[in-house]
Amino acid sequence: MIPAVKDLQAAFQARGYVTGDALATALRLVVGLGKPLLLEGPAGVGKTEAAKTLADVLGTRLIRLQCYEGLDAQSALYEWNYARQLLHLRAAELRGEAASDGLYGETFLMPRPLLQAIREPRSAVLLIDEIDRADDAFEAFLLELLAEWQITVPELGTLAAVSRPHVILTSNRSRELSDALRRRCLYHWTEYPSRAQELQIVLSRLPGINETLARQVTDAVHALRALPLGKTPGVAETLDWAAALVSLHADHLDAESLHATLGAVLKLREDQLLAAPTLQGVAAQAQARG
Amino acid sequence: MAETGRVAGTPAALAAQVTTFAGRLRRRHGFLIGPGEVRDALRALELVDLLSRRELRGALRAVLTAGPEQGRLFDLEFNAFFRAGGQPQPELPPLLPETPAPAEPDPDGDPPDKPDREQGDPDTRPEQAPSPQAGSDPGGDLPDGEALQDGQDSEEGAEQDAPVMQARVSPNAATGEALRVDAGDLGGLLRAATGLIRALELGRARRLRPLPRGSKLDSRRTLHAAARTAGDAVLLRWLGRPRRAPRFLLVLDGSRSMGRDGALLLRFAQALHLRSRRVEVYAFSTGLTRLTPLIRGAAPGQPLALPDLGDAWGGGTRIGENLLRLARDERGRVNRDTVVLILSDGLDTGDPALVGRALRDLRRRSAGVVWLSPLAATPGYRPVQRAIAAALPHLDALLPAGGPEDLHALGRRLRAARLTRGAAVASPDPGGVRS
Repeated sequence: MIPAVKDLQAAFQARGYVTGDALATALRLVVGLGKPLLLEGPAGVGKTEAAKTLADVLGTRLIRLQCYEGLDAQSALYEWNYARQLLHLRAAELRGEAASDGLYGETFLMPRPLLQAIREPRSAVLLIDEIDRADDAFEAFLLELLAEWQITVPELGTLAAVSRPHVILTSNRSRELSDALRRRCLYHWTEYPSRAQELQIVLSRLPGINETLARQVTDAVHALRALPLGKTPGVAETLDWAAALVSLHADHLDAESLHATLGAVLKLREDQLLAAPTLQGVAAQAQARG
Repeated sequence: MAETGRVAGTPAALAAQVTTFAGRLRRRHGFLIGPGEVRDALRALELVDLLSRRELRGALRAVLTAGPEQGRLFDLEFNAFFRAGGQPQPELPPLLPETPAPAEPDPDGDPPDKPDREQGDPDTRPEQAPSPQAGSDPGGDLPDGEALQDGQDSEEGAEQDAPVMQARVSPNAATGEALRVDAGDLGGLLRAATGLIRALELGRARRLRPLPRGSKLDSRRTLHAAARTAGDAVLLRWLGRPRRAPRFLLVLDGSRSMGRDGALLLRFAQALHLRSRRVEVYAFSTGLTRLTPLIRGAAPGQPLALPDLGDAWGGGTRIGENLLRLARDERGRVNRDTVVLILSDGLDTGDPALVGRALRDLRRRSAGVVWLSPLAATPGYRPVQRAIAAALPHLDALLPAGGPEDLHALGRRLRAARLTRGAAVASPDPGGVRS
């Protein structure tokens, strides 16, 4: 039974992930249409977390493939267990059998994330994280898998999918993806959440937090995002920052606690200098109100 | 607003509307939508709550868009289209009495402002509304071809500074004369091209390939070989990382203001092509033309004879629009091994913001973007031309190209620019402030 968009949104909410309508609808379509979803957006807006939560909501396994430059089909699909194969060859030799018999059997096959995902008895959630870091060749290879849902192992034959995984690809746009991949996927652009949404996220993620502090932190982060920073803080930074303040037993934001925890939200020296006047204003405002 | 209102009477009517809507996105904005996408959009309708406009919009957006810049256009079109009840282009204004809008939505769920809008001037009808906005918006697609050439050439001649040369290089639009560029010192240019190629160290590819000698054991092939020798790995096979050979994308400014420099750079493009087969050459003036086949067909050492390049040579300059068109339409030619060389003086009549957008796009997909400017060779040069100022934050280097000696120094300068790239990025950029 596939949940309706509203139910999906509620289920996400119950797990501490606040989604907008558009993302919930897109995730609903991933399950319903069986198409992959390409999630793009700035770093730290919860793209990866969306896939994790989806797996949790659907009660299936999450299989994650982290992409990197130079990722090839071998490490994404399957690998042969060479050490075992070599031992097998030696043993066969000692017994006087034909050496290559059964050398490329399933016992020697080590499935990697993509093969694992299509061999799950129940549709898993396959997270292909930061696809923009892989190269064009890998992207082309992935297209084939997403279209045919089968994998060819030259020595073994074609392995058809047992179940079709729910595929979520994420990208930080460090490289432009091919139009072919874009066409094959549903698309959703994840933006920074609104102030109210972010407050809701902080409150649901950090149940122990004082509401005044949560409000001040989200306000401050929103003020920071308006600045031309080198690395704009994402939701992850907001949560880190709030958690840092909670662990320091701060119940509101002041100049001192702000200074002590600034590294949780601004991670470049230039950004800290650039944001200093804004943050002073934030602290003064908070103090005036507190 | 009718966020929860019905958008169509029956599912069949809605399906027809969605199909029309998809066609409109493809026609007006060049969205990549084929029958497959339309089918998916129709299937998506069955999965969402059709009574909720937001769910419908979310579903169609997920299926029909493919990039962040398309999202905004989609929302604009969606709102216009479904507010108007999905009628593609109402032929006649509806026959409604001249009364103010009703207070509550009518049974069709149309928003209350519908009668007002449709009674007004035909230009303000919702169907028409998005078009001018999309056209003037830098985020929109390029205006039609005519818009690029609509007779702005006359005032652009004022800024060109080499009237004598102009007569030779500029066939000047209407004459349809062929362009002839003298062979010049081919040997020298070839040396400059070699220097440039050598200077571009792109390092090694990250992906491992089977090589005779490599850094990593290729277990798979080694084992395959060992099966023949009873499990003894007698022959070792290797994997390694091959060198990345640079590709070049040359974009020549063929406008009148470039004068003699344009011809020199064209010959340099030819020399570069003779040294590396992986060269693409484009020229632009008011329009954009791919010169690669012409350069490829030219005999080395002979004067370069090109047919009339029309709006790509000898006219005014529209850097931004043409670079943007290059970045969008020829995106397949730019990958991470591609070095983009833009040869232009930066004297532009178009919108400098477009230059910035195009270069940001190109830089993100290429190994580097280098701007060669003949003006930069003059002593005391400052990058204050509007196009250059807008481009500067997105360039890896801005280098002079005043003559053959500058082209010879290109490799060396590029290497130096690479070394200081980190420092250049860290310092506050005057170009960014000005633009």
